[in-house]
Amino acid sequence: MTCPICGKPGDPAYRPFCSRRCADVDLGRWLTEGYRVPVRPEEEDEAERPDLPDDPPQGRPH
Amino acid sequence: MADAAKKPAEYGAESIKVLKGLEAVRKRPGMYIGDTDDGSGLHHMVYEVVDNGIDEALAGHATAVTVKIHADSSVSVRDNGRGIPVDMHPEEGVSAAEVIMTQLHAGGKFNNTDEGGNAYKVSGGLHGVGVSVVNALSDWLELRVWRNDKEYYARFENGETVEHVREVGPAPGQKGTEVRFMASSKTNRADGTFSNLDYSFKTLETRLRELAFLNSGVRIIIEDERPAEPVRTELFYEGGVKEFVKYLDRSKTPVMPEPIYMVGEKNGIGVEIAMWWNDSYHETVLPFTNNIPQRDGGTHLAGFRGALTRTINAYAQSSGIAKKEKVDFTGDDAREGLTCVLSVKVPDPKFSSQTKDKLVSSEVRPAVENLVNEKLAEWFEENPGPSKVIVGKIIEAALAREAARKARELTRRKTALDVASLPGKLADCQERDPAKSELFLVEGDSAGGSAKQGRSRSNQAVLPLRGKILNVERARFDRMLSSQEIGTLITALGTGIGRDEFDIGKLRYHKVVIMTDADVDGAHIRTLLLTFFFRQMPELIEGGYLYIAQPPLYKVARGKSEVYLKDQAALEDYLIEMGIEGAVLRLADGQEIAGADLARVIEGARSFRRVLEAFPTHYPRGILEQAALAGAFDPGRADDDLQLVADTVAKRLDMIALEYERGWTGRITQDHGIRLSRILRGVEELRTLDGAVLRSGEARRLSQISGQTREVYQRPARLVRKDREQMIHGPIDLLKAILSEGEKGLSLQRYKGLGEMNPEQLWETTLDPEARTLLQVKVDDLAEADDIFTKLMGDVVEPRREFIQQNALSVENLDF
Repeated sequence: MTCPICGKPGDPAYRPFCSRRCADVDLGRWLTEGYRVPVRPEEEDEAERPDLPDDPPQGRPH
Repeated sequence: MADAAKKPAEYGAESIKVLKGLEAVRKRPGMYIGDTDDGSGLHHMVYEVVDNGIDEALAGHATAVTVKIHADSSVSVRDNGRGIPVDMHPEEGVSAAEVIMTQLHAGGKFNNTDEGGNAYKVSGGLHGVGVSVVNALSDWLELRVWRNDKEYYARFENGETVEHVREVGPAPGQKGTEVRFMASSKTNRADGTFSNLDYSFKTLETRLRELAFLNSGVRIIIEDERPAEPVRTELFYEGGVKEFVKYLDRSKTPVMPEPIYMVGEKNGIGVEIAMWWNDSYHETVLPFTNNIPQRDGGTHLAGFRGALTRTINAYAQSSGIAKKEKVDFTGDDAREGLTCVLSVKVPDPKFSSQTKDKLVSSEVRPAVENLVNEKLAEWFEENPGPSKVIVGKIIEAALAREAARKARELTRRKTALDVASLPGKLADCQERDPAKSELFLVEGDSAGGSAKQGRSRSNQAVLPLRGKILNVERARFDRMLSSQEIGTLITALGTGIGRDEFDIGKLRYHKVVIMTDADVDGAHIRTLLLTFFFRQMPELIEGGYLYIAQPPLYKVARGKSEVYLKDQAALEDYLIEMGIEGAVLRLADGQEIAGADLARVIEGARSFRRVLEAFPTHYPRGILEQAALAGAFDPGRADDDLQLVADTVAKRLDMIALEYERGWTGRITQDHGIRLSRILRGVEELRTLDGAVLRSGEARRLSQISGQTREVYQRPARLVRKDREQMIHGPIDLLKAILSEGEKGLSLQRYKGLGEMNPEQLWETTLDPEARTLLQVKVDDLAEADDIFTKLMGDVVEPRREFIQQNALSVENLDF
């Protein structure tokens, strides 16, 4: 498990982070809207495309 | 450093001034030299003498200072400077050297700028008490001077002259001063000053190294003759303070390739600074005044800090970084991971105490501040790459600090039982036992409204989350969870947040259910939520409290009955079930298959399709299907008689082709595959199954699967249902025919969003514990799960597509 912030090995006490500090940096990002998912038009198109008549992967929640 | 090029005033006997009273030193040694018991005073004795040598070097007269701990625990310090003046002192009637050694406050350093003598421009010695204090606190002290091509010698005991300065012989070309002293110690006599003579080589080395860094170009040699194997270290650093910071951080990882170096002089105050940042969170700023460290800082440090914060703030503003990150940073943030050596050379410095732990000279602050303001801003402008890294690091520090503060605030703002303070958007349940309570996190206000109406109020709570959209650039939109929503979520859960505050024991609902639309937006919000929980509340997932709702994807109406279907697979199941009703598969030999037998054949067809889908897409599906039915993939066939295989496949293709489209022929290719061709409307049609695919694992599996039902498709069959009849040439045809039959008479509605369902429908399909399906979130591979998020956040389109196809965290099916 590597720390999502700095990439160093994680510490179980701060999982999945390596330290309290990196955990705090991450929390800081959440609280300041630093985590954003880019939305692109072509993805919206893709979402509209009907799925192929096929067995979807198991455990797919939609 | 003092300017060596400027020729200082003559350094003769008249430049020594006298202040009497050496007796006091022996009475209260602590006042002059420091603690006589813990070793600090003893080592200070050495430093005092070394300072004289360094001063000579600063003034440009010496290049090397040698410190030697002798086997008898006496210490000698020798420099190659001008040599202490040995001529007669005009006021005292003895040699200047003796005055320096025997009288307190006698030294070249007292004639400073005010009085114009300026023997040394700046100096670090302790108010000139230096060497006379050392003499006063020594059992004996020997002075050797090389000056005027002669060697001189004098000896002192308990601070008194026992041998006056005398010439001992010629020493052509030699110059310098050596002081060797035996500190007064209780180990030698009962009324000795120091409790022992245990010089620590390491302590001396550390301070002497500091001096070597601070006085670039001065060679300091330290020798220890006490051990059987004498030790010798040479300290010489041309890089000065720049090398000092590198040395300090020798076991750390710097975030920039080279330290920032600034040097200048303002109003006679010399300032030299080297600084950089490492990836740790500790600040190491060492301020020195005239080579002496200030443990408690002072005006130089204040000037540096002020300018540093100001400059970085200005850079963060002008570069636009500050605007992007919604966080204000402080001086503390800016100094996290900073290693800096700040050396000032000040004439006549003022300290708050004798120990010089804090500089109070007010003129130093603006001198340092102006230099740093100017040079650091310049550096930031000229080094955009490292500047970005540094500011990024500072912003992280600010984020972490702010996050910890907000976490406390969010956690302590309320207690779980304080219902009045629960967020207004939350529609809470009546149940107070967390084990029986459920919280639905619902995407979108309209769906939230339906959920609020459709839920079971007794134990189901609903919190609508919208997911904020931000127009980042003209054609780019970002989706996020607003900070307000995160705050609301934390408050609703009751657990608090942050490493110190989070308490899973306070969780108000033992089922937290994420309910989002089955589209890309929904997937994004779900991923954001899952990542937030995984990173900031891993206990929520580990405890098995986190679930994903499965709202139906389809509603199928047939006459008056309505059926909800959660996904594509469920839809197909349903359509097949409908299609089989009243259908008969009539084989060429007249045999009829229907009902449960037909269902089994169709199940086989679905398995066949699944294996067929696994082939690389460039192989023609129809040919693969027919080749499998012709037995081309049966183990060993291809290697047995390949031409026979080619002919058999061609024959089978002809059998299912329309009458005027026949004429398939099969040939063997070079790679032991088969090529099938026919002429269709004057154009040759070519289909190839290469050697690799004929003998592949997929081919073998297809052979196995087709083997079970091959007799069904041996010759064209017909699917008969009601008054319709369709030709069946293989499992794929059969599947298509049954599905299209199944759709007849149905109205199929695909739900695009939760909001399209009314409250009753939402209850029936998604909320009702009797009917719903929940997926429990299990984080099997935490790193992998997080990796998906990281990819999603990134700007690379491909991995994100992949994500959307494969979906988020691994979730395990759990039926209720």
